[in-house]
Amino acid sequence: MGKAKTRKVECMIHTENLCKTYRMGDVVVQALRDVNMEIKDGEFVAIIGPSGSGKSTLLNLLGCLDKPTSGAVFIGGTDTASLSENALAEIRREKIGFIFQQFNLIHTLNALENVALPMFFAGVGRDVRLKKAEELLVKVELGERMYHKPSELSGGQQQRVAIARSLSNDPAIIIGDEPTGNVDTDTGTAIMQILEGLNREGKTIIVVTHDAEIAARAGRTKRMRDGKVLE
Amino acid sequence: MKDAFLLVYRNIRERKTRSILTMLGIVVGIAAVVAIMSISYGMQESITEQLSEMTDIIMVTPGSQELGSFGEFGSFTERDLNDVERISGVKEAAAMMGEMQEVEYRGEKVMVEIVGIKPRDMDAVFGSTVKLEEDSGSGISASGRELRENDRKACQIGYSIANDYFDYEIGVNDRLTINGSKFRVIGVLEKQGGFRSNVDAQIYVTKRDAIDIFGTNDISSIFVRVRDIEEAEAIADEIGEQIDDNHKLDDFTSAMAMGGAIEDLNSIFQVLQVFLLAIVSISLIVAAMGIMNTTLMSVMERTHEIGVMKAIGAKNRNILFLFLMEAGVVSGIGGVLGCIVGWGAAEVISFGIYSAFDVEIAVVMKLQVLLGGVAIAVLVGILSGFYPARKASKLSPVEAVRYE
Ligand SMILES: Nc1ncnc2c1ncn2[C@@H]1O[C@H](COP(=O)(O)OP(=O)(O)OP(=O)(O)O)[C@@H](O)[C@H]1O
Ligand SMILES: [Mg+2]
Repeated sequence: MGKAKTRKVECMIHTENLCKTYRMGDVVVQALRDVNMEIKDGEFVAIIGPSGSGKSTLLNLLGCLDKPTSGAVFIGGTDTASLSENALAEIRREKIGFIFQQFNLIHTLNALENVALPMFFAGVGRDVRLKKAEELLVKVELGERMYHKPSELSGGQQQRVAIARSLSNDPAIIIGDEPTGNVDTDTGTAIMQILEGLNREGKTIIVVTHDAEIAARAGRTKRMRDGKVLE
Repeated sequence: MKDAFLLVYRNIRERKTRSILTMLGIVVGIAAVVAIMSISYGMQESITEQLSEMTDIIMVTPGSQELGSFGEFGSFTERDLNDVERISGVKEAAAMMGEMQEVEYRGEKVMVEIVGIKPRDMDAVFGSTVKLEEDSGSGISASGRELRENDRKACQIGYSIANDYFDYEIGVNDRLTINGSKFRVIGVLEKQGGFRSNVDAQIYVTKRDAIDIFGTNDISSIFVRVRDIEEAEAIADEIGEQIDDNHKLDDFTSAMAMGGAIEDLNSIFQVLQVFLLAIVSISLIVAAMGIMNTTLMSVMERTHEIGVMKAIGAKNRNILFLFLMEAGVVSGIGGVLGCIVGWGAAEVISFGIYSAFDVEIAVVMKLQVLLGGVAIAVLVGILSGFYPARKASKLSPVEAVRYE
């Protein structure tokens, strides 16, 4: 991991000896052990591995939702450990779109408002925000459901709203932790197609999945076991 | 801003019952503040109004307050009155004689305070506030006329004497017996109430008649009006010394400048107001704890949501702002409702005081009090929402998202 590499623009994300240890009383769980990986600009990476192998832990660190116990995550050449909480929030807001297995929409807001929320936090004006949110919903084929609350949408529809939300500040990276885990196979395929489309548009995509078929569609697959990336 | 408001509004609505209960705390607190403020402003105003005409008065009574007990009350003489009139700065001095006497009307006997005064001194004593009762529209003057110097066995009666003291109402030209001699009622005075309610329960006769009834020409009090209010205190001291000299006694005379008394009353009043507000602020503290509690619960319940918001890029200050706004909106609405309820309560209290004590206290609703009430509510809300809101904003995104 020389310094020359960190300066390369195409190296979107890379990690150096990334470790994450959870301590619960006397029990110590090493969720990640010395993970070194790099993901290039525009790549579509699928991460697979058995339950408890550390996939979510890794994604949370890549997505700047959590801090490593040791080692570092570089995003676009910047060491995220050196950033303030505010700067990390800005990275989550501008550079990364996170998609959860449980969709995690704000249940008091309708689809349009959910999609507009990251732009609200970014201080984008109301009109611009709602127009963009509308476009994004049309893009995920939910133009007819804009004013529905999450509880009035199916799982697949909710996940599409979540994808639209992840796109709202036009991030370079989309991270999905089992985005197809809570939907049926057909819907899962549809969601993968949307992600593939986004990848074609140039977005870097990292997804965790249990589904080998879905993993096969990705450009590169990384296998994890016991907190290690096996390649 | 509008969307933040929307977000906050939806959350408040979703937990309607709890929001309303929290609001209720603020409503009660602010209502109490507003009601107390407006009632006490009303009281202050009516005191000032009633007493403002008396600022140039010095009340001279025998028996100093230091000596205290009623038994030591004495009386003044004609000479005292003349001496007081001669003091420079004194505009007029009016002597009053007062004694409780048995008054009989249609066979009913009641003890009433009879006041003897020279008719021309009536104005000096009362200024223009004590008037004959208004005509009741019957065409004939129901209220009669003022006492005149040459009236014999004639009296003016207070409103309560006319209406409440006897089984039968007493009107102009009716006759009553005071200490055995017949008197004709020539005038009924307008209802005074408040600080002058004693006037309502008195019967006024000429000084000459009073000397006859009482069998003495002792003066029980002297009303002095001064030319310059600034000098009132000094003149009061001089009057006291002069009369004490006449009687060769120390501290025999109590000469009180009403202007000073009014100021004293006002400051007592302000102390009272502060005291009441202090009590009321306890209810605001309780309300504040309610808001803190609600906001804390709201933070707990929405931990997951906060995590999601942070995961999609909300900064700590975005979260802080949302929760502060929630506390502020709940308490702000509570404040507005509190003002309305407080206003209503003030009107009810005012009516209650009127019914119970016959004292009219207008509700003085000042804009500052209303705006202040809402501002205090919002402030209390934001201050007590701060701790939970800060707690929410500091949550770690992963842990908060994991929280279910
Ligand atoms: N907050 C936590 N506290 C303690 N241990 C944790 C925590 N989060 C994860 N772990 C542990 O770390 C290990 C990796 O967990 P992780 O969630 O990353 O696995 P995963 O690969 O995503 O599994 P799954 O496929 O079931 O989602 C597990 O042993 C888990 O028990
Ligand atoms: Mg997982």
